[in-house]
Amino acid sequence: MEYIVLAINAILVKNILLAEYLGNCPFLGVSKKMDTATGMGMAVIFVMTFATSITWMVHHFVLVALGIEYLQTIVFILVIAALVQLIEMFLKKAAPALYKALGIFLPLITTNCAILGVAVMCIKRDYGFIQSIFFALFSAVGFALALVLFAGIRERFQVSYIPKALKDTAIALVMAGLIAMAFFGFKGIDSTLKALTLN
Amino acid sequence: MKKSITHEFFKGFWEVLPPFRLVLGLCPTLAVTKTVENGIGMGLATTFVLLCSNIIISSIKSIIPKKVRIASYIVIIATFVVIVELVMKAYFFPLSQQLGLFIPLIVVNCIILGRAEAFASKKPVHHSAADGLGIGLGFTLSLMLISAIREVLGYGTILGMQVMWDKFEPFAFMVEAPGAFVCLGLVLGLINLVPKKA
Amino acid sequence: MKEYIKMILVLTAIAAVCGLLLSAVKKGTEKRIEEQILYNVQGPAVKDLFGYTEKIDEIMPKIIGNRQEITVNEQKQSVFVDKKDDKPKAIAFESNAMGFGDKIEVLVGFDLEKDLLTGIGIITHKETPGLGARVTESVFRDNFKGKTLTEKFKVKQDNGIVDAISGATISSRAVCAAVEKSIALYPAIKENIKKKN
Repeated sequence: MEYIVLAINAILVKNILLAEYLGNCPFLGVSKKMDTATGMGMAVIFVMTFATSITWMVHHFVLVALGIEYLQTIVFILVIAALVQLIEMFLKKAAPALYKALGIFLPLITTNCAILGVAVMCIKRDYGFIQSIFFALFSAVGFALALVLFAGIRERFQVSYIPKALKDTAIALVMAGLIAMAFFGFKGIDSTLKALTLN
Repeated sequence: MKKSITHEFFKGFWEVLPPFRLVLGLCPTLAVTKTVENGIGMGLATTFVLLCSNIIISSIKSIIPKKVRIASYIVIIATFVVIVELVMKAYFFPLSQQLGLFIPLIVVNCIILGRAEAFASKKPVHHSAADGLGIGLGFTLSLMLISAIREVLGYGTILGMQVMWDKFEPFAFMVEAPGAFVCLGLVLGLINLVPKKA
Repeated sequence: MKEYIKMILVLTAIAAVCGLLLSAVKKGTEKRIEEQILYNVQGPAVKDLFGYTEKIDEIMPKIIGNRQEITVNEQKQSVFVDKKDDKPKAIAFESNAMGFGDKIEVLVGFDLEKDLLTGIGIITHKETPGLGARVTESVFRDNFKGKTLTEKFKVKQDNGIVDAISGATISSRAVCAAVEKSIALYPAIKENIKKKN
């Protein structure tokens, strides 16, 4: 039950993109078409879950043990970059179809602030290992959801009239704001759910 | 075409202005622009990292083998980010609490890695320095602009000082996520009205 | 082969220089950062709980001086001690619980002689302004002032004695949870402090 609350929280209420402001660059760049959006979404789910589990272990078994927590930023980003490289190489050999589907998004994910952001959040909030993995998984799902929703809307907008100055990124941002507002409404669910499960 | 050093510096304020002309660095723009103080803080921190990493990368660009260049850039940029993190906590503690998670996230700010790859790795040190400083300060100004709008409408203050009339009902929407997106979008739209080479 | 060696050498060199630079900066800022956390985060809350009326800058050295590190249940705990005639009179230590936004850190104060809760201070929180953030208000915190440790520190909806903030049940519950955690630790900490002093 606790995990359902966690899921709803991460996907809807505290959507890492629309509420926590993480992952905006790829969001605006990649959401123009449905298939690129789904590709990026899948890639993020894959990488984020993996990356968080590894960074969690690195933090707790290496950084804390050696007392070098202040190097967290630099170590985490290196872990993420290395991980993405490894995943790329692995997928190329083991699942070429998936590799092709993900295309250039895989390397792009290294600079996705959502990945580093979620990894750091799990440490800050003292989440346990399993909790962190689920948090990462659901946050990524939330990101993918927002991304796909957005792509669907943007595709429609290609054929509508938009003043030149607002074209592309500007109107995309305004739309993102409106979607964010819609997601804002989910805040109510969260309190009710928590009240139901907390005894 | 040899561009002067002043050109490299000033382009950061208009032609290559992030995040409007150079559409990078959006996460911090949305996240830390609730108040002008936060915007300035983040802007200056990013400028510091950008300037230092540009200088270092440009200085040692000849000895970095091509295959490991991204990894090297990341290490260098991350080092400066950690330095900023520590110095901020030591001397600007309240600000560091406000900016929170987004200080370490400077390391994945696409502006910095982008400039390292596109500019510092190819141009001489003094040009890279001007580029870094100009773009960083331009970014700071953009952050200040957005945060001014959000702070005035969302809290009725600028830098903590009341600027709206007494009975002003703050537009709380502006300080939350949706407001950030909408505000940035509209400002971007306005800036797009002006042709690039003014 | 030569290429690989060069790559490894360059990367190692860069990493080494950066590492040195970082540890130097870390050493240089360590003390100051610790001070900042004390001054900005816990200091005001401790001052409030112990009822010190001096300005925060003047009283900080005393607060820091009287801080003791003890180990309870194999965990290090920082305890602030208020002394009267050189004997510990009251203590305060941190506890936390997950609130609506993020962790809420609560400083809980105890009267050592009477075994009472002297009150609480909210150290850090990420609750919603106007709602959960109101746990910092004295109206809410008075729920814990001068209470005996056997009271049920839960919100009224959970059959407790605490008046939750309307619209902020989660935040209120979190503070209660933090207080309960600290009460559980109190006996061991009290014993430890008495032994040391």
